[in-house]
Amino acid sequence: MDKDEAHEYLSSLLNQILRIYTTDGRMFRGTFKCTDPDRNIVLGNSHEYRQPSEEERSAAAANASGSSTTLDMTSRYLGLIVVPGHHIVKMEAEQFLSQMKT
Amino acid sequence: MADFGVGVPDEIARLSLGQGSAPQDTLPPNIRSEGVVAVDITAKFSDAVKTLEPGAIVKDGFFTLFDSVSALEIMDPKMDSGCSTTDAEVEHLYDVSRPLLPEEVLGIIDQLLCHEMSWHLGYPLSQTLFTSFYIEALSMPDPRSIQEATFIRNGGHDPDEQPMLQVLRAYCLSMLKSCGYVNERIKSEHYYEEEDFVTNTYNRTLMANLPTSAIRDVLIEAMAALKSQRGSVPDNLVDALVLRLELRHIFLDAVECPKHMKEPDLAKKPWREGLAILPALNKSHSLASPVDEAFSAKLQRKLASTMPPRPIVQLEFDVAFGHLKGLFEDGLELIDVLHYRDSQCLLTFVSTFQAKKPQPIVYVRTLLQTFLFDAMEVLGSMSIRQLLDDDFAILTMPAHQYLDRLNDEVEAVQDPRYAMAQQMELFRTRAAQPFLDILRTTCQNRCRVRRTLCHLLRDWESLQVDAEEIDQILQVKVKEQPTMHWPSMSSGGVESYSLPLSSWTYLYKLRQMEQIIQLGFELEVYQSDELAGMYWYLNYISKSRLHHTERIKSFVIKRVEETHGQPGNSDPTIAAQLQRSLMYTRLSLLDAAVTWELSDSLSCLYTVLNRLKLIKAPPRPYGTDELRYEIRMRPFAPVGLPVLPTFEEFTAGTLQPDTGIDELFEYAERAVEGAKRGFEALSKMTAEESFSVGSHQRWASATKNGLKSCIATKIAISAVQKAMEKSKDLDNLKIKVEIPTPQKAYHESWIVPKILPLA
Repeated sequence: MDKDEAHEYLSSLLNQILRIYTTDGRMFRGTFKCTDPDRNIVLGNSHEYRQPSEEERSAAAANASGSSTTLDMTSRYLGLIVVPGHHIVKMEAEQFLSQMKT
Repeated sequence: MADFGVGVPDEIARLSLGQGSAPQDTLPPNIRSEGVVAVDITAKFSDAVKTLEPGAIVKDGFFTLFDSVSALEIMDPKMDSGCSTTDAEVEHLYDVSRPLLPEEVLGIIDQLLCHEMSWHLGYPLSQTLFTSFYIEALSMPDPRSIQEATFIRNGGHDPDEQPMLQVLRAYCLSMLKSCGYVNERIKSEHYYEEEDFVTNTYNRTLMANLPTSAIRDVLIEAMAALKSQRGSVPDNLVDALVLRLELRHIFLDAVECPKHMKEPDLAKKPWREGLAILPALNKSHSLASPVDEAFSAKLQRKLASTMPPRPIVQLEFDVAFGHLKGLFEDGLELIDVLHYRDSQCLLTFVSTFQAKKPQPIVYVRTLLQTFLFDAMEVLGSMSIRQLLDDDFAILTMPAHQYLDRLNDEVEAVQDPRYAMAQQMELFRTRAAQPFLDILRTTCQNRCRVRRTLCHLLRDWESLQVDAEEIDQILQVKVKEQPTMHWPSMSSGGVESYSLPLSSWTYLYKLRQMEQIIQLGFELEVYQSDELAGMYWYLNYISKSRLHHTERIKSFVIKRVEETHGQPGNSDPTIAAQLQRSLMYTRLSLLDAAVTWELSDSLSCLYTVLNRLKLIKAPPRPYGTDELRYEIRMRPFAPVGLPVLPTFEEFTAGTLQPDTGIDELFEYAERAVEGAKRGFEALSKMTAEESFSVGSHQRWASATKNGLKSCIATKIAISAVQKAMEKSKDLDNLKIKVEIPTPQKAYHESWIVPKILPLA
């Protein structure tokens, strides 16, 4: 990827909704505001999502009738956050199914 | 309300970090949705950022540096409350369904009480009540009905299963509800976020959706359940727990007291009941055994806040209880404000109530504001016009034709009464805001009172211009006959008009100027070597007030004579109004005189102490006397009258270089003797005479403290004199001077030095 192309790509993501997974297993979802060469990312209006704990999972599994269960992630509002680049394990961009290119 | 300077800090407070609560409508978005796909962009994104030059950034055009500073850094343990390091999950630190011993419930309740009081004192909920697992379990998710508000949801747990948990649940629910009331009350009035109180609830509703009656029912059920436990639980524990539930019940009544604004006795009831049970509550605290593990600062990670995690506030029970007792005492005392007598008694009530040490806590102060101003009615029943007219009548216009309500009925434009009604209405609309602001300002914390008064002074300055104009229009319309003065030295007579409106305004302005200086002493604004100068300036202002009051008095007496001269005029209300004004001028004269004389005496005393080098100025490498003069006089600089003394006049007044020490002492002694006699006369006044009906006790004790300050001043003067007689060497008097802090002085605004022998 050359420089201009990269810049264009990053700019195209601005104000899109990103999901960023951190090293401790949390996920942050918010609008992309800013990034830099170290991949530090600023998200606006973000929410934090946390995986259910081990015990909650086993409790839910015990109560469930089938072989698989679904648990909601617990979440809270955080607002403007900056996620340091070295704590990021995965990034996703949200897209509407209807508008996706094949 | 367009009140100058009051709204501005609120704006600033809103800017402060950590106030960003979630917009009301943003429920956490559902992250599983049919129409939305999350595409992994990790690799592409990482490649893209690698091409950026060092220091280059890609950012949204509306994203600013200011925003970036306020962003919360994820995974930084100091900022990110959700950052889990090695700790186990918070939810499993404590089991809220575990059985509790009665003494443990008592312990938790008393711990909650401490947290509640810390919140009242200004700590955020996140560091106080919201650190309790029980509170967390009840508040999240927000219960929609009273049945849902249990520690364990959906688990098929019967809330009545364990009576002890039932008691705790009832206590927590009613506490949260009353906190909700308190929070709403404070938010609806003037207060200072960060200085006084933090209203942030981190998106918790504090049980706003549950009706108070349902919570009362829960309390009553819990009390009944408790009483049925007698036998299995020791009686003293049952009693202690019942007492605490009762307190919650009473507290719910107490926070609803504004709805009884028209029936003060009913409004007083809960406060009185609360005070009655408090001693027993304090005594039974010894039975409690605290459960520290039921509280954790880690719960902060669940709050909607960008605030970095902070430690739990620990307040001792005795301290918390002291504040609780203070809250109930002040609440009870406060209701007396509803017994309105006249505007001056109201002012005395409010100012002496707020001058109490320690100052009533912010909830009580906002409650007072509610009583004073709710729904544009003073004390729930009076219009602002009534209040203002009452005040005009007391100060400068007793039984005055300008204030006759019948003027409003006159429709003939050429009739002077028509002009009176018009002009008076104009003046009232201008004066209402500055006048009410005096009351509103007094309800703030002490530092803010002084600061806001400095702003308010400008409003009064411009009001005075309006007042003079209206006075002149009216005196022409009514063809007022001037009083002739014959000053002894000049040949011709001087005409003088009564100018009732500008006289009224000017008197208030002078009082505020004095108050600003006096609050400066109370708040320790001035260094010890500046005291001589500031007391000199206080003396200068109070002298102006004395002269002004004498002028007002001469016109009140003129009115009395006129009225007596009119045969057949025997309306008792007119006589009463005139009498009241005479009484007020007497009080005002005495009050101005004691301020004048005591400040004179203290100024002289401090001048001597400065001259003898017994008070040393702190090193000020960058300051000069002139710069300091400028900063001290800044609040008064916009005031046209009384004229601001120049720096030279100020220095001459402070140093009095042409006056010898003996002479200075002579002045000081004479002045303090006069002040003492004045205070003695004041302290003999009844509540009616001193315009302190409803607050006479507080007013009288302030007066008594003024008297004590006079005596202390006399002692200090004679101690220095004696030391000077004993030792002819003025550089070695073998004494030292101790300047007491305002709390240690007899009266906060009279800082009298203590003269101690050198050991």
